[in-house]
Amino acid sequence: MKTIHTEVPELLYKKAEALVKEGWFRDEKEIFSEAIRRFLDTHQSKLMDNFIRDDVEWGLHGND
Amino acid sequence: MMWNGVSTVMTKSTSKLVCDAGPIIHLDELNCLHLLTDFQKIILSNIVCEEIKMYRPLALKRQNLSFTKLSQKIPPDETIQTICRIFSLDAGETEALALMQKNPQAIFLTDDAAARLVAKQMRFKVHGTIGIIIRSVRRGQNEPEEVLKILSNLPIKSTLHIKASLLNKIIIKIKNEFDL
Repeated sequence: MKTIHTEVPELLYKKAEALVKEGWFRDEKEIFSEAIRRFLDTHQSKLMDNFIRDDVEWGLHGND
Repeated sequence: MMWNGVSTVMTKSTSKLVCDAGPIIHLDELNCLHLLTDFQKIILSNIVCEEIKMYRPLALKRQNLSFTKLSQKIPPDETIQTICRIFSLDAGETEALALMQKNPQAIFLTDDAAARLVAKQMRFKVHGTIGIIIRSVRRGQNEPEEVLKILSNLPIKSTLHIKASLLNKIIIKIKNEFDL
């Protein structure tokens, strides 16, 4: 496991803290790991690359 | 509009837009929000409006740009809600997709890859900030040189995420396309 130090908005942290207090997660660390995992699953480099390339084609040669 | 010595007069596009907050924020950061005036209607859900106000309070007050702001919440149906949860889409993206279901002919404007993936799976037309900027040449709103300037300034002026190597490739493609 890699340890990172970062800043998160107060409100976001409070929401994570509340989920831990309610017993849904063991700790905030678990929430942030899960959130990052989900984000990375849906934001793969190839996918983002393809979307932007689609945009360029539409911008240049689209018909709407 | 004059470009390459050819004069063209463009009529407004017949397309409607349903927007997520990202492209409105990014276009405003780049002083390009006016490019949306080319569309028939720009529809914003209640939550998306709130998100925009939080990051760019003046964006929705720009002159000559009229947004259709929906005051009531659009409840997404169960399918959308489930898909959006699986893809971890936020409330604004979820509401925008619910709006797309009611306006399937519209273009969904988002810069979020996950929202875009879901929209594509639902067979909606979906584009983002880069597309709107480049489209402005085709629609006679900008000269290609101006678009190159906007794209070059993008990493400094906007919070849109794009890798430098891809942006450079886009700039080269546009230069080639317009013999610049």
